[in-house]
Amino acid sequence: MKRLDRGIFVHRLLFVLPAFALFAIFTYYPFFFGLYYSFTQWDGMAPPVFVGMKNYVDLFQDTAIIEASKNTLYFVLLNIFIGNPLALGLALALNRRFRTRGLLRTLFYIPSIMSLMVVAVIWSDLLRYDGLLNGFLTSVGYESWVRDWLFAKESALPMIMLIVIWQGSGFGAVIYLAGLQGISKEVYEAAEIDGASGLRKLLRITVPLLMPIVTINVFVGLVGSLKMFDLPFTLTNGGPGNATATIGLLIYKLGFVIKTLGYANAAGIMFMIVIAIITFIQVRITRSKEVEL
Amino acid sequence: MSQAETAGKSGRARRRATVRNRVSWLAEGTMLALGLVVIYPLAHLFLSSLKEPDKVFDPFYIPDFTFWGNYEEVFRAGNFLISFGNTVFLTTASIGLVAILSSMAGHAISRAGKGLLLWIYFLLLSGMIIPAQTTMIPIFKLAVAFGLIDTRFFMILMYTAGVIPFATFIYAGFVKSIPRELEEAAAIDGCGRWRTYWTIVFPLLMPATGTIIVTNIFGMWSDLLGPLLYLYSPEKQTLMTLIFSFKQERTTDWGPVFALSVIATIPLILLFLFVQKQFIRGLTSGALKG
Repeated sequence: MKRLDRGIFVHRLLFVLPAFALFAIFTYYPFFFGLYYSFTQWDGMAPPVFVGMKNYVDLFQDTAIIEASKNTLYFVLLNIFIGNPLALGLALALNRRFRTRGLLRTLFYIPSIMSLMVVAVIWSDLLRYDGLLNGFLTSVGYESWVRDWLFAKESALPMIMLIVIWQGSGFGAVIYLAGLQGISKEVYEAAEIDGASGLRKLLRITVPLLMPIVTINVFVGLVGSLKMFDLPFTLTNGGPGNATATIGLLIYKLGFVIKTLGYANAAGIMFMIVIAIITFIQVRITRSKEVEL
Repeated sequence: MSQAETAGKSGRARRRATVRNRVSWLAEGTMLALGLVVIYPLAHLFLSSLKEPDKVFDPFYIPDFTFWGNYEEVFRAGNFLISFGNTVFLTTASIGLVAILSSMAGHAISRAGKGLLLWIYFLLLSGMIIPAQTTMIPIFKLAVAFGLIDTRFFMILMYTAGVIPFATFIYAGFVKSIPRELEEAAAIDGCGRWRTYWTIVFPLLMPATGTIIVTNIFGMWSDLLGPLLYLYSPEKQTLMTLIFSFKQERTTDWGPVFALSVIATIPLILLFLFVQKQFIRGLTSGALKG
C-alpha cells in the first residue's frame, strides 16, 4: 500500500510540475531578479552598481512618479465611485423584462470585448481637433468648448476616464446582472407587503444582497485602473507632459525608453506593494458590508 | 360587490396597466437609444474605413459603401496576412498549452487536496498579485539570456504562464464534480494513469476548458505590450502591433488604419456572438465563486 501511495504522489507531482515550473519561471524568478536589481543602478549594459535603498528614496521625490500616482489614483477613485454605480444602474435597467433584452445586453457589452488598441484608434479619431465631437459642438453653438480633447491638459485625463467607463460598464453590468438574478423574488414580495417603496427596496435589499458582487466588481475595477497602461500609452503616450501618465506607463518608460533599469525595477516592486495593500484594504471593507440571508 | 363596482375596478386596473405598458415602452426606447449611442463608436469605425482618402477626416461624411480601397491597401501591406496568422497562432497555441498544463495540475491538486501539492497551489494563486510591470524588465532580460527574444515560442510560454493560476483554479474546482470511481474503474481494467487521464478525465473537463478558452482568448488576441516588447521582426508582428505601427506611420492617411482595425475586431465580435452564453456563464461563474 505504501508503494502505491508513493506512486500516486509522484504521479501527481509530475502532473503539477510543468505548470508550476512555467509559472515560477515567468513570475517568481523575474520577481526576485527584479527585487535584487531594484537595489542597483543599472542601464542594462554595464554591470549593475549596488546603491542600497537609493532608488526607493528617490521614488518619493520624483515629480513624474508623484504625478503618475495622482493620475492612477484619479482613475481608481472615478472607477469605484462613478464607473461602478453606473454599471449597477445599467444592470438594474437591463434586468427589466424588456422585449429586446438580449439585443440590449449585446449592445452594451460589445465595447468591452474590443481590443484597447482599436478603442484607441476609434477615440483618437472621434476626439481629434476637427473630429466628430468638436464638429458636433460647433454645429450646436458651443464653439467655446472646442479643444484638442486628448492633448489639452485639463481634458486629457477626464477623456481617457470617459473611454474607460464607456468600455467597462457593460462588463460590470453583466456581473451585476448575474447577482441580481440570484436574488429571490420572495424577498421583494415580502417587502412589498410591508409597504416598502422602490428606493427603499433598492437600498435595503438589492444593494446589501449584491455586496459580494460589489466586492468583485470593485476589485476588478481597482486592479484594472491601478494597472492601466494601454489606453494612456496608445492615446496620449502619457502627455501632455505627464498629465495622463500612469504608474504602469511610467515604469515601462523608465525601463524601456530611458533605460534606468534599476530604478524602474524599484518602481515595479513599490507598485506591487501598493497594489497588494490597496486591494487588501478594499476586500476587507467591502467584505465587511456583505450580509447573508 | 355589485357588478358596476367590479367593472369600474377592472377598468381602472386596465388603465393602470396601459400606463405601465407605456412607461415600459418608454424605458425600453430610452435604453435602445442609449445602446445605439454606446455602439456608435464601433459603427463610426466601420463607416470611416469606407471613406475615400480625401474624405477620411470628415466626421460627418457618410460613405456610399462603394469604396473599399482602404481594405485593398491593408492587403497590399505585405505584413497583414502574416500578422493575422501570428495572432491566430499565438492565441490558439497558448490556450492549447494552458488547457494541457493547467488541467493536469488542477486535477492532481484537487485529487490530493492536501500536503505539498496544496502549498504549490497557494504559491500559484498568490503569484497572481505580482503585476506585469514588476516582471517585464526581468522577463526581457530572461528572454535575451536564453536567446528566445523575438521568438513566437517565448510569447506562447509567457501567455501560458500568465493564465496558469486562473485556469488551474477553474480546473481544480471542476474536477471535484467528476467521480473518482471512474478513474479507479479504469485502473482496475489495467488502464495506466497517463492514458486514463487523457482518454477519460480530460474529455470530461470540456466545460471547464470552454470557460478558460472564452475568458482568455480576447485578452490574448488584444495584447499589445507583449508583442511590442518581445517580438520586433516585421514578420513576427501581431495584428495589434501592426495597427500600432500603421497608426504611427500613416499620420495623414488613416483609412487603412480603420480598415485594419475593423478586420482585427470582426473575429472578436463573431466569437462573442457565437459563445455569448458560455462566455457570460464563464465570467460569472469565475467571478461569483472566486
